[in-house]
Amino acid sequence: MNAGEPIIVVKDLVKSFDGRRVLDGINLTAYKGETLVIMGGSGCGKSTLLRHMIGVHKPDSGSVTVKGKNISSLQEEELDEIKKSFGMLFQSAALLDYLTVEENITLPLAEHTDLDPDIIKIMVKMKLELVGLSGFQDLKPSQISGGMKKRVGLARAIAMDPEIIFYDEPTAGLDPIVAAVIDKLIVDLSKKLMITSVVVTHDMQSVFRIADRVAMLYKGKVVEHGTPPEIRSSDNPLVKQFIEGNPDGPVSFIQSGDDYLKDLMK
Amino acid sequence: MGVDKKVVGDITVCSLGGEININTSPELRRSLDGIIGQSAKKIVLDLDGVTYIDSSGLATLIEVLRRIKREGGTLHLCRLPDKVRSLFEMTKLTKLFQIYDAEETACANF
Repeated sequence: MNAGEPIIVVKDLVKSFDGRRVLDGINLTAYKGETLVIMGGSGCGKSTLLRHMIGVHKPDSGSVTVKGKNISSLQEEELDEIKKSFGMLFQSAALLDYLTVEENITLPLAEHTDLDPDIIKIMVKMKLELVGLSGFQDLKPSQISGGMKKRVGLARAIAMDPEIIFYDEPTAGLDPIVAAVIDKLIVDLSKKLMITSVVVTHDMQSVFRIADRVAMLYKGKVVEHGTPPEIRSSDNPLVKQFIEGNPDGPVSFIQSGDDYLKDLMK
Repeated sequence: MGVDKKVVGDITVCSLGGEININTSPELRRSLDGIIGQSAKKIVLDLDGVTYIDSSGLATLIEVLRRIKREGGTLHLCRLPDKVRSLFEMTKLTKLFQIYDAEETACANF
């Protein structure tokens, strides 16, 4: 695939849970080599959208096409094959506490490849160097900081040389400096390794540091998308409220008093 | 992925071609194992035909370098395509390997 080719295409995606429509006709494309940020408040559907992109959820209607294949119609084996081209950095880094840093990064390589353990050992050292953690391979997750855990998670995410990395709130719970370090790593890895990155976040500083394009979700719909400057200058009141972090505006967080009073009388 | 071998005097030149990735790296390792096992001491790997190399391929080359050095031999690389060279630079491997632009200079510098 050449740079700029669509690598993930989400078309008319609809998903409901218990009668509540969480995704309501999403159309979105991620292009090869770009960093696409999906932003929005808690409960807007962004994590659900991410889970559709990695094949965890199946749409009620619509489709998610990854590298030209509709992943919701794939058999398990085919889906597993596509998933080998994914890396994933979870919010919690999701490291196994009883394994060392090296063993955590080794896991996907040992599980999915026939590579010799000596080769894997060298690869792990290279990945740790890329995230700035050379020499930390023998430590356990409990012996390193939250930011370092994120970096180990990132080293594990790139272990298999993925074409696409999905990030779920990569800077959540980190102090501003460590968050900036993680953002810089995301940008560096994306550009140097030509990795397509899809990042779900509500950290606005992070959005403007890393995004090539931004899509804002609200109530299961894409309400705005564009480059960071376009998003920054958007007249959309939903976007403006979100960027400015105003408690008052069209994005409602508070149920009406009437609902509360009715509920009391039930 | 393919490996073509030729012997020029006491130098073994292997031309690598195609994609070196997680699936093909073990095959590359086996091919180069055979060459190291034949007691070749001066080895040139010509990477001109390599269309893609991932970290498993780089790790395989590092392991080959280690083994050749252990056996008292020398490894030179030559004709790295731009994309391959930038990966070597990113991972600082340009400082680990002796890299030449042409096969002739790679052979002449043993």
